[in-house]
Amino acid sequence: MNSPKSTALVLALPWGATLILFWLFPLVYSFVMGFTDYRLLVADYQWVGWSNYRELLLDPDFRAALKNTFVFVVGTIPVTTVVALGLALLVSQGFKGRGIFRAGFFLPSVTSMVVIALIFTNLYQRGGYVAMLAELVGLSPPEYGFLYDRGTALYSIMAMDVWMSVGYYMLIFLAGLKAIPDELYEAAEIAGAGKLRQFGAITLPLLRPVALFIVVINSIKSFQVFVEIFVMTKGKFDTATAVYFIYSEGLATHFRFGYASAAAYVLFVIIAVFSVVQFALLRRREALW
Amino acid sequence: MNRRCLLAALLCWLFGAGVQASETIEWWQFWTDPGVKPTIQAMVEEFEEANPDIKVKLTDLTWANGHEKIVIAFASGKAPDVLELGSDWIAQFAVHGHLAELTADALKDSADFRGWSMATYQGKVYAHPWILGTRVLFSNRDLLTKAGYEKDFIPADQQQFKEAAFKIGNLGRDIYGWGSNTAEKHRLYKKFLPFFWTAGAQLFTDDNKYCVLSSKKAADALRLYKELHDSCGYVATQRGIEDAFLDGRIGFILSGDWLLKRIELEKRDINLVSTLMPGPRFPGRSFLGGEFLALAEASTHKAAAAKLIEFITSPDNQARFCKAARSANPSSRAAQEDEYFRSNIHLQTFIKQIAMAKHPPVDPNWVEMETAIEEAVEDALFGSGLVAESLMKARIKIDKLRRQ
Repeated sequence: MNSPKSTALVLALPWGATLILFWLFPLVYSFVMGFTDYRLLVADYQWVGWSNYRELLLDPDFRAALKNTFVFVVGTIPVTTVVALGLALLVSQGFKGRGIFRAGFFLPSVTSMVVIALIFTNLYQRGGYVAMLAELVGLSPPEYGFLYDRGTALYSIMAMDVWMSVGYYMLIFLAGLKAIPDELYEAAEIAGAGKLRQFGAITLPLLRPVALFIVVINSIKSFQVFVEIFVMTKGKFDTATAVYFIYSEGLATHFRFGYASAAAYVLFVIIAVFSVVQFALLRRREALW
Repeated sequence: MNRRCLLAALLCWLFGAGVQASETIEWWQFWTDPGVKPTIQAMVEEFEEANPDIKVKLTDLTWANGHEKIVIAFASGKAPDVLELGSDWIAQFAVHGHLAELTADALKDSADFRGWSMATYQGKVYAHPWILGTRVLFSNRDLLTKAGYEKDFIPADQQQFKEAAFKIGNLGRDIYGWGSNTAEKHRLYKKFLPFFWTAGAQLFTDDNKYCVLSSKKAADALRLYKELHDSCGYVATQRGIEDAFLDGRIGFILSGDWLLKRIELEKRDINLVSTLMPGPRFPGRSFLGGEFLALAEASTHKAAAAKLIEFITSPDNQARFCKAARSANPSSRAAQEDEYFRSNIHLQTFIKQIAMAKHPPVDPNWVEMETAIEEAVEDALFGSGLVAESLMKARIKIDKLRRQ
């Protein structure tokens, strides 16, 4: 018992038990549940095989939720990544008060999503500041507010999400920029390379691992978007995403745990495939450089 | 000396144990408002005084997640003895055997209360009506006068109501005839169903076999609702509509008695008119819902829990509770005769409307059906705009649900 191995085991036990109880067990249990017709209020349940998965494929609500999720992911990831990189480049310059800017850009990412969602719900309402801004630049805002229109609701939430996330990713890019040796830029300057050339030949390639990390992490987060949808639209006006669908099926309306579990695993597979593809694409380019 | 002290302590403990409550029952309820909670606590204390062998453990729920908590409690076998349930939930819990059927003793005075049909599923009664709620038509007298109506004008039918709403809507910029709810979950259908029922439409055939949501009468009701929405509607959340109404910017809204409480608490200066839902013939039908007290089937203290339900729902306690809540109507007919209700013209409107109101079907799948109805209304108002098609889609969804 006093051997280092035993001590290590004892010390790892709380973490190990937590992992098994609250991660592995639910993971396996929900996977098995996805093959049953288990409903929360019903004591008995049956093994239904792939029936839940077949039903999901034909469910127009699930397909709409997946479509909205893809729009969200594809719409936010590139914008967030590019804006975060731009901000990181800006605040990495040596100008007075840059600390304030860094803190200011980072602040939304440490603020509660619920609080931000409520603030933006107000901003997006009819006659709100966003509508006023739109009118100022000659655009006509949606009649009942940005969140009450099928054409703008999802995009408005996406814009809020980008605003909220860029600060966090900016910080990661900033760390990546700091890690690039100054000697490379000095050598490039001696060789006569301009700022743009330096950015294309040094900064971008060396930031690629950081960018890969950001894209993958942000994709996983975006595929799981829920809180902002729940707070701002409750999935109305074509904003229901995959996780909102899972919540709605499992906890809000139908209490179909089996069906919701199957939907969760479909999302899991999609995220896994998406992440693998991202890794493959970005790594291949890295090899070329 | 030490022995004497020990003996005294033992006697005290034994004596104390003798007067302690022999059973503790748990009651989950939703009234957390600081203006109402003390009344709930006072009623519980009085109950405990009258029943010294029973102790009540009170747990507060919120409307945001109370339903989920109840569902999980039933699923995990940890349900409390007594639960406050919304009328829409009773069948959902009863069908799976989570609620105890009320005994004949509990139903002995049933004629003295309204709302039993909302708690009756497949011929069995599962909860006691506590408070009832409906929606009435509120209007702004000043806007009606500006639109050219006499000072005692009340729309006698839907046609007059529609005309008045349109006239008010034409009074000028930022003045609207009608407060139209946006796609708010669990709210929109409560606004549409009064129009639906007033038009004589039904959700199901009389034998309850088929959904007839897409009937001509239903389509007419949705067309009228859409016409008001499109022509003179101020579209916002319920709260937003009420704000605009109290600011004098909306002529008509369909709302509950909580609006009266807001006017009183916020000292709003509005020339308020409350009237029954207008119909083709006056009056029309409104939406009826309520709060019920139910007994969990798994409770091991059913007799004590039933006593608590009887005490809380007694006419005196209902009247007392409703006075404190200022946004609830008693289910007790005797309590409805209380001077508090008789002396208030607006509360009288609510009492009258309750008698003319209709509740949704008591069906375990009602929450899903409600979603389908809301989607149809949303689609007609904010989406395709096609009334008949939207109702047909909802009908197909409901039929599918019932087949499951």
